[in-house]
Amino acid sequence: MVEIVVPDLGEDVEKAKISFWHYEEGDKIEKNSDIVELTTDKATFNVPAPETGIITELYFEEGDEVEVGEVIALIDDENEELELSEDEEEEDTNF
Amino acid sequence: MSLNAVSTRLPHWLIKKIYRNEASLETKEILKSLKLNTVCESARCPNMWECFSKRRATFMILGDICSRDCSFCSVKKGVPRDVDESESAGIAEAVGRMNLKHVVITSVTRDDLEDGGSSHFARTVSMLKKRYPEVLVEVLTPDFQGKVDCIKRVAESGPDIFNHNIETVKRLYEYVRPRADYYRSLDFLGFIKTNYSGIYTKSGLMVGLGETGRELESVFDDLRSAGCDILTVGQYLSPSKNNIPVAEYVHPDVFKDLENIAFAKGFLYVMSGPFVRSSYNADQVFDKIKNKDKTEV
Repeated sequence: MVEIVVPDLGEDVEKAKISFWHYEEGDKIEKNSDIVELTTDKATFNVPAPETGIITELYFEEGDEVEVGEVIALIDDENEELELSEDEEEEDTNF
Repeated sequence: MSLNAVSTRLPHWLIKKIYRNEASLETKEILKSLKLNTVCESARCPNMWECFSKRRATFMILGDICSRDCSFCSVKKGVPRDVDESESAGIAEAVGRMNLKHVVITSVTRDDLEDGGSSHFARTVSMLKKRYPEVLVEVLTPDFQGKVDCIKRVAESGPDIFNHNIETVKRLYEYVRPRADYYRSLDFLGFIKTNYSGIYTKSGLMVGLGETGRELESVFDDLRSAGCDILTVGQYLSPSKNNIPVAEYVHPDVFKDLENIAFAKGFLYVMSGPFVRSSYNADQVFDKIKNKDKTEV
């Protein structure tokens, strides 16, 4: 399981708002695809997924305030179905 | 999706990707272990993760407390602490560990010090030039209240690029930089170009504060009259509710127009875009002007 954590967003920035989820629970996400948009008083950031996997949990709603360091989502990067579907994709590309 | 979430989202061109990878985490660790301040963190720069991921940072010397209270900036304000001379050695160490070829050093404003912190700037630049003669050093300094001896001290320490930001148009100084002076900043840049022709001069502007296009062109003209070589133009983003609000989110096409206008006025290099900041990709700028100089010769 991979945790999506609110990253450091600058000195004395303790909170951010979840302004947009790019995916829903159950969706497959590729590594480096943006999973969530976070907004601070100063700027807006897209946080990418560190690994490919299935999103199993989105712990907050859009509009919620979250703290720097807080876990806001979970990605299952060890899902057997995911591995299977990747294998299938690979096979498909061989034809 | 809540309506609230939709209404507070910025234009798509102002959304920055977080580059949280091995390199960026390592950069953060180096800075932390050497107890160095960066303007990237102190000013809550949206480019921080991107620059850290390229193993770049803009070092901020003379502490982390500024003696001025500019309304656009999030750097801490108050009574600064004594100068920590070990900052210079810390930066020299970081330059080696980060394998930097182009170092940018800026500072908080230190009106409380007789020399405005210029001796510390000069000491840091000299140390870097002695330890890494091949490394390019760019300084981004406050106005030193226009004190010529302070400007000379830094210029004579050997920086390759001397940056001093004009920040905004003349009309908005009272609102944005109440303790600075538009003409003092222009004179500052002009003094360096007149007396140290081997140093490239650079300045930067924020847009989105309520200025007009005509006012911006007027600043471009004034900077060129002062001999300014390099210009950066970026979107102002309000750091907190206690700072002045953004008047306008300027479209990327307008930034491109501004870049073209500024180039036409004779700047050696111009960087204009929503996320352009004073030291953003500073190393690439230097490569381009060096090649341009060679071509023109």
